Amino acid sequence: MSFHISEDQELLRDFVREFATSTLQPNAAAVDEKGEFAQIQYEALIEAGFAAPGIPEEYGGDGLDAVSAAIVIEEIARVCASSSIVLSSNKLGMTPLLHYGTEEQRQRYLPEVARGEALFGYALSESEAGSDPGGMTCRAQQDGGHYVLDGVKAWVTSAGVAKYFIVFANTDPEDPRHRISAFMVHADDPGVSYGAPEHKMGMRGSVTREMILDNCRIPADRLVGKRGHGLGLALGTLDHTRISIAAQAVGIAQGALDVAVGYVQERKQFDQPLAAFQGVQFMLADMAMRTEAARQMTYAAADRSIRKAGDLTFFGAAAKCLASDTAMAVTTDAVQLLGGMGYSKDFPVERMMRDAKVTQIYEGTNQIQRIVIARQLFTRGK
Amino acid sequence: MTIVVAYKYAANSQDASVAPDGHVDWSRAKEAVSEYDSVAIQFARHAAAAAGGDVVGVTVGGAAAGTPNARKGALARGLDRALVLADDATSGWNATATGSALAHLVERIDGVDCVMTGDASVDEGAQMIPALIAGHLGWPCFLEVRAIDRTADGWRLVQDHQGGTRTVDVAGHVVISVATDAVEAKSPGMKDILAAGKKPSEDVALAEVQPADVTWDVVGRAPAPTQARRRELFDGADAPAELAAALKTTGVL
Repeated sequence: MSFHISEDQELLRDFVREFATSTLQPNAAAVDEKGEFAQIQYEALIEAGFAAPGIPEEYGGDGLDAVSAAIVIEEIARVCASSSIVLSSNKLGMTPLLHYGTEEQRQRYLPEVARGEALFGYALSESEAGSDPGGMTCRAQQDGGHYVLDGVKAWVTSAGVAKYFIVFANTDPEDPRHRISAFMVHADDPGVSYGAPEHKMGMRGSVTREMILDNCRIPADRLVGKRGHGLGLALGTLDHTRISIAAQAVGIAQGALDVAVGYVQERKQFDQPLAAFQGVQFMLADMAMRTEAARQMTYAAADRSIRKAGDLTFFGAAAKCLASDTAMAVTTDAVQLLGGMGYSKDFPVERMMRDAKVTQIYEGTNQIQRIVIARQLFTRGK
Repeated sequence: MTIVVAYKYAANSQDASVAPDGHVDWSRAKEAVSEYDSVAIQFARHAAAAAGGDVVGVTVGGAAAGTPNARKGALARGLDRALVLADDATSGWNATATGSALAHLVERIDGVDCVMTGDASVDEGAQMIPALIAGHLGWPCFLEVRAIDRTADGWRLVQDHQGGTRTVDVAGHVVISVATDAVEAKSPGMKDILAAGKKPSEDVALAEVQPADVTWDVVGRAPAPTQARRRELFDGADAPAELAAALKTTGVL
């Protein structure tokens, strides 16, 4: 039940921080302002080889374990949360293939993503099926050696940019237990189109759109996992990928804390730096404690993802919930500590506060996480 | 062809803070390959790629320079392999001793055609290390080099010189320091980081080199003399134009 961060992982952190600070940070405000997919950041991530951490070496990836991958996401999110969505999005695509896909599917898709030639998307939600994915209406009907998909998926990250999507649809609507299946849909498949980009509060360097499937005909071998087992695949995937969101949230919190710590030592009021006021020190101490606790919980969950531990569901949900609540609280306090400057775009903390909000919402709202955690309390001891 | 880069693993000056009284606080400075040496490694990488060859790092430093992460930290920046003399006994060495030890490390490597260093050195920025290495090796030395090409019998260098540049052809071996902006030091990517752990590095014991036994002490320091200021104030609507004219007159603009 223990883990530690190795020297190699600390070195990895140093290098990713150096890259993120020198290459991503200078563009972070502009990317947010523009509100489009951050192509410049994406290309930089690909060139540096940080776009898809965790793909096994046999598929051309870096072979990073889940703790190391979390460190990479954390350090990128520390300066540009929008950019870190590239990594979490790829994680959402690679995880179903690694855990449920066929060897042929893994060989088909993972090397391309590892080389930076493709980005994954994940299409689970629908307008009336968010926290309740079982209520989805998107249909996939088998027609000989093909499936034909019809429906509209909502809140699809990287829609219009990603090359491949894991799409969930009803294959057996009459079966109460095995209705939903997962498919690999290509962006250039017939019948695939997208809605207008959503106008979002934060993560504005990442594009989110509806994905419209209109008589989208795909080969039957694009089925990922067993037919009718899609909901279990989706939830099993989220156990692993919520750790990415936790890492993202820890990075956002750390970024805001770093800005606040620097600011209060420079800014003077009543003839002394803000840092000299005990009330300010108390706020910073609370921010640091919460951030570090969230980090440790995230790494503990990542360690369980590596070991496929039985309590991964609990830890994945708890890490995501704790870290995202922490990110929201810490970024809000950072804005408070910077006062008027924190409320302006002259400092990055207002962007960090906006970016933090969605980490409490996507990949399962924190209310859903608490339900997951509570259910684990009732079942873990049995 | 082999290019050697002499690098140092030391507290990063970017992390140091200077108090209003001039005191430099190094307590939060993390040890790393220096920023200028990273430029030299990248510059060497380009030169080796153009001419065909490998890049070998040499370093002399405290025990920290020999830790696995210090080695990987240097190798990830573009070295093919490294020779490391890591011993806390070197902490009291002056530039002459360090330069001679680095030269001994260079001599242990076969087929070296060029030695490169970063722009500043352990000698408080006096840029003596490349000259000291060159002196021990008996090779020519050029500072502030911003371009280098292999020629039939040596090297063609473009060197910052008297506000401009000069191009120099030199036969045989050469020691250079690389201008700070000659190339952009690229942060290591994932492939570089993963490859670093598989690259070889060789330990060299203190007893295996013979550093020059020269001792000297800094026995006093004085601040730079304060330059007289004109304290000229421009006021009113014409102030911007008057300021610009004054700056032009004094040669600032």
